[in-house]
Amino acid sequence: MRIAPFVSVYKFSARLVRRSRRSRLLGALGLLPVILAVILQITRAAAAGGGLDGLEVFSNFVMGFSLQFLVLLLSLFFGTAITADEVDNKTLTYPATRPVSKAAFILGKYASSVSFLLVLVLTSTVVSFLILMIDRLSYGTAWTFLGRSLAALGFGTICYTALFTFAGTFLRKSVLIGLVFCFGWENVVQYFPGTTQKFTIMHWLKSLLPGLGAGMGSPEGGGLTAFLLFRHEPSPVGTAVAVLLLLTAVFLALAVAVFSRKEYLFDE
Amino acid sequence: MTAGGLILRADKLGKWYGNVLGLSDVSIEIGPGITGLLGPNGAGKSTFMKLITGQLRPSIGTVTIAGRPVWNNPGIFKSVGFCPEQDAFYEDTTGREFLSGLLALGGFSAAEIRERTARALAFVELTADADRLIRGYSRGMRQRLKISQALAHEPEVLILDEPLNGLDPLSKRKVIRLIKEYRTEGRTVLVSSHVLPEIEALTRSIVLIHQGKILAQGDIHFIRDLIDAHPHIVAVRTGRGRALAAKFVGEDDVRSVRFDEAQGTVLFETRNRDRFFERLTGLAAEEGWEIEEITSPDDNLQSVFDYLVGK
Repeated sequence: MRIAPFVSVYKFSARLVRRSRRSRLLGALGLLPVILAVILQITRAAAAGGGLDGLEVFSNFVMGFSLQFLVLLLSLFFGTAITADEVDNKTLTYPATRPVSKAAFILGKYASSVSFLLVLVLTSTVVSFLILMIDRLSYGTAWTFLGRSLAALGFGTICYTALFTFAGTFLRKSVLIGLVFCFGWENVVQYFPGTTQKFTIMHWLKSLLPGLGAGMGSPEGGGLTAFLLFRHEPSPVGTAVAVLLLLTAVFLALAVAVFSRKEYLFDE
Repeated sequence: MTAGGLILRADKLGKWYGNVLGLSDVSIEIGPGITGLLGPNGAGKSTFMKLITGQLRPSIGTVTIAGRPVWNNPGIFKSVGFCPEQDAFYEDTTGREFLSGLLALGGFSAAEIRERTARALAFVELTADADRLIRGYSRGMRQRLKISQALAHEPEVLILDEPLNGLDPLSKRKVIRLIKEYRTEGRTVLVSSHVLPEIEALTRSIVLIHQGKILAQGDIHFIRDLIDAHPHIVAVRTGRGRALAAKFVGEDDVRSVRFDEAQGTVLFETRNRDRFFERLTGLAAEEGWEIEEITSPDDNLQSVFDYLVGK
């Protein structure tokens, strides 16, 4: 695949993504962790130094919300829309009758959606962190935790969006089926013991988090990330990264293969 | 880009949607100039258009442009422009963004994109509205914008699917003029429509399609001759129906005469419409009969197609 058509599709699609109603609506959802962080910080300040530790709040709530809900939902709606929007709005004819390969089309649109989501999710997470940790920014472990959290969220966005891009190329009700997958399979099977939890993407993402197995627990020795890592049997970080990259590549290859062979008929 | 007028060729082309026939055994060659693809709704025009623009894969047969296959061959679209039938756009972009974005997919440089966008917008008279969101465009403006995206890269083959559909008479005239202007330098233009006068306004060269098959190809006089040769029903409402019928019963070109009591009309079936009307007006003048209404219920394209396929 030549790079120029990919870049053209990326730029064209990035403009459409930025302008879409979906981006405005779900972009607001992406800001929710920041709003919640502000509320929590005000609550903590009102408790005059008491209440929950900032890092604990960040790990248990913000990360729990962002990783297990926000990333899934955003990836689902943006990933499936890559082809579904073009088919539903009957605009697929325009890119389909340009000198652009179907691989460049899918990958360019995927890249533009992922870029938007990464900026949204990672920015909101960093801002939430800064708000919650405003009085403890010199604390080194906290920054390490933030870095690993951003890695988990980033890889989650990349991998889930690839999966839902693939789903969108061949499923008519891809959002519905995706919701069942996200909140049925992923949010349940990840808590199964043994090898079974490795059949979820979430297992590999949580292996990137600083947790009990990685010796990156709470400075207080308490249950930092306990909510996230309940029953988690972590895999090595290197293995997790490799699996997530492999899954992303496989999902995208499948998406391109299906899209290149399928005929899309518009309902008249 | 020099325009050479590429040949568009379909060979034994067929398309099925499951068990439903979309197109059957179509072999055709379309060269430079404007060719009209004429057929009633559901005849297979859009299926043919989608096949020759690579949006559908042939079930059987081949379709090529300048000898190159169309399906999964995006390179072909450097020399092909397509205006789809559906009124679909990226509504949250402006006309200029829409055009420049699609030109960028064609691999043009930034300067070329600016220049071609401006030229295409001027060609379809949308320069003044170029920076408005498409969702605010009128139907005529949307249709012209759709045409402009098909020709902004100056393709040698321009394919237009029902470009006059839903337009008011003024917009129709504008679009017809644009299409005729584009035909210059030997370019190949294929236009589909289900309305004969629309095609007549554009070209003399037509292809008749019906029930997924090409019935005929040639000069538009051919279909006009068919309309004339095809037995015609003429309904005449007059108070002297029986006397009028008696005058026509003995004529060679009149095949049958019937009375429609409910409508108060006499129905004549004639093989020579022009001669019939000549005699009718002559009789009315000679006898002083008042003719209240003359209608020709089967004077439409569908009846000609039905006749051609032997219904």
